[in-house]
Amino acid sequence: MSSRIKYLTAAAALAVTTSSFAGEGAATFQADFLAGKLSWQNVVQEAQKEGAVQFYYWGGSDELNVWIDSVAVPALAELGVKLVPNRITGTKDAVDLVLAEAASGRGIGEGSVDAIWLNGENFYTLSRQTMLFGSFAQVLPNADNFEWDPADQRSQLNFRDFGVETGSQEIPWSGEQYVCAVNRALVSTDETLKTFDDLKAYLEANPGKFTYVKPPNYVGNTFVQEVVYSFNPDGTGSAPFQKSLEDLGVDELARLAAPGFEYLRSIEPQLLGAASGNVRYPEDAAASRGLFANGETHIHCEFGLFAVATNRANGSYPETAEEVVFPAGNMIKNKNYLAIVANAPNPAAALVFANYMASVDAQASKLEVIGYPAGIDPWKLSATDAQRLVEAAPPHFGVTQDELDANIAPDTNASLVDVIEATWLEFIERKATKPLAEIMASAAADLAR
Amino acid sequence: MQLATQPSGQLSTGATDRGVSRPVWLTLVALGPVTLVLGLLFGGACLLAVAQSLGFAPWFGINTFPDFGYFAALWGGGMFWNALGLTLYYGVVSTAVALGLALLLAQTLVKSFPGRALYRFVYKLPLMIPYTVGIALAVIMMGNGGMMSRLAATLGLISDPAEFPRLLHTHSGWGIIAVYVWKQTPFITLAIYAVLLGNGQEKEEAAAILGANRRQIFFGVTLPQIMPGIVSATLICFSFSIGAFEAPFILGGGFPDTLPVMAWRYFNDANYNLQAQGMATVVSIGIVAGIILFLYLTAYRNFERRRGRV
Repeated sequence: MSSRIKYLTAAAALAVTTSSFAGEGAATFQADFLAGKLSWQNVVQEAQKEGAVQFYYWGGSDELNVWIDSVAVPALAELGVKLVPNRITGTKDAVDLVLAEAASGRGIGEGSVDAIWLNGENFYTLSRQTMLFGSFAQVLPNADNFEWDPADQRSQLNFRDFGVETGSQEIPWSGEQYVCAVNRALVSTDETLKTFDDLKAYLEANPGKFTYVKPPNYVGNTFVQEVVYSFNPDGTGSAPFQKSLEDLGVDELARLAAPGFEYLRSIEPQLLGAASGNVRYPEDAAASRGLFANGETHIHCEFGLFAVATNRANGSYPETAEEVVFPAGNMIKNKNYLAIVANAPNPAAALVFANYMASVDAQASKLEVIGYPAGIDPWKLSATDAQRLVEAAPPHFGVTQDELDANIAPDTNASLVDVIEATWLEFIERKATKPLAEIMASAAADLAR
Repeated sequence: MQLATQPSGQLSTGATDRGVSRPVWLTLVALGPVTLVLGLLFGGACLLAVAQSLGFAPWFGINTFPDFGYFAALWGGGMFWNALGLTLYYGVVSTAVALGLALLLAQTLVKSFPGRALYRFVYKLPLMIPYTVGIALAVIMMGNGGMMSRLAATLGLISDPAEFPRLLHTHSGWGIIAVYVWKQTPFITLAIYAVLLGNGQEKEEAAAILGANRRQIFFGVTLPQIMPGIVSATLICFSFSIGAFEAPFILGGGFPDTLPVMAWRYFNDANYNLQAQGMATVVSIGIVAGIILFLYLTAYRNFERRRGRV
């Protein structure tokens, strides 16, 4: 512990001063709440006493920011809680802040982050570092809007986040699907892609007209994961990738992923910019969208079940963009969540906030205004409420909701995602000549340190 | 910022400093804020960066201080040297081009020509516009979906905007260099122009009367006078360029990246062990910048000594 004290002084430079008396009340509240001693009424009263909630989220979408400011903030003000949006460029920034503050000795109630919008690796990191408030998702009043019956296969998205048990330490907020769009002015219906072999054929006829976002950005990782699923040599698709790295083993992962990585290598000479010697992997979805809107690429993939509708409307996709069911059977669908941090300064207000976000009102409005699919499960709602969600949903172009639903696959286990992205950097970007198994083994060893 | 202007006679002859004695406490108060900011914020951050690069980051579960392994891994790999080469290439080329343009511009501005008053204002515009706007302009103008390529396609010079020569996102870095030159030319011009204005034209005229040609006047009379301005302005521009992140990140050619982008990628990696590696990269940028600063200033001092000015 004494070494801890030493680096406290150093890390104090990073931290901002905080009230030292905040800890005790928050600790009692956390213990009482998690023990089930508090009624919802008590929580709301405590939240009003706390007054504000510090919400950290990726602030890169104007639509989302406007929705938070014009819908969520007033709704929470009515509940007596001031929602303070902290917009960050990457969710990892919030995770880093939480970890740095915890390391500087900020205990329960003394942090500066209450709630974070996250999923996957970021949740995995926080849960591994035991920096989460506790199991709250199933005890909120609006928990009724979710499927919690483990016997129902559809409940998996509420229990597992990138294959990691959520332990109800986060509550689903939205459910997204990885959808590729084509520019119909350039890609005829005969050329519609269904498989990665179709993509390769298209690229051979139209070199340079596609690229994918560069891993470790999650939009790029997901593309790589879909490739790996589709080329799974056992033909079992996503199934083996649900296991953790420990259970699956690095050698098995390398065997299953090798054909996918070979495919990625084989299409590289046909990607955007390859002809002039510099393959261009855009840094994020926005950069890739720009290429697509300019007609530099004909196909663009990102997370967003309704991304085509939203982005056609705001001009960041070409007006002729349409969705395609690609890769058939392996379109990754996951949920994203709201988590409450262990040392949240306003835990009660964070709970009230999470509960509001899980309400039908918030979910329907979010779907209608920004096209983020509902995180709540429609079959758990009353007929009227379920109908509200149907009516709020933006339109699809070229495909139906049923076709999109019929081709989903689950996301990859978070412990594998880290290895897969490190492997991409080594195998594709740095063009390592070592065998894939060796690259994966050293990546896994690095991550385990 | 006042860059190496010559004393103009009345302002700072040094007499005021020596003539009026100030109480010690007043000096301390005057120096205090800057010392505090430099010492705590800059010095503290420097120390922390060095400590982290040597394996001291307990908040990410790393504490192997002192551990030179991160530097060894970094300097031992080819990636670092590629990145260093690219970083220096962008820094040197953009500073040299900006200096060339600034020399021409500053010497033209001291002479009178029609529209000089307007021009003297216009050339300073990029100074007031942030780098990020310059980067956005480069994307809009120079990209393969940008104005230049579309114009070329519309005029029938090429059949598809994609055929336009790639200026952005290549390792030749024309986009990055263009942004730096656009922003830094007026800055260097300002520094040189101020010296030229302060000196007046008399010495050049005298040299011309004595029969010196334009080349001789420039190298024998003008250049030695503006040398301090050139040195300080190019140093500031160069050290900014090699430490800057946005332009190479947005306009660069991807892997291999420049050193600042490489550091950012380490920080952004899911693997927290790479935090220390990233910090070692940042410290390496500092070391490289320090070495270059030292060599440059030594060379400049030798230049002045040869001329007998120091």
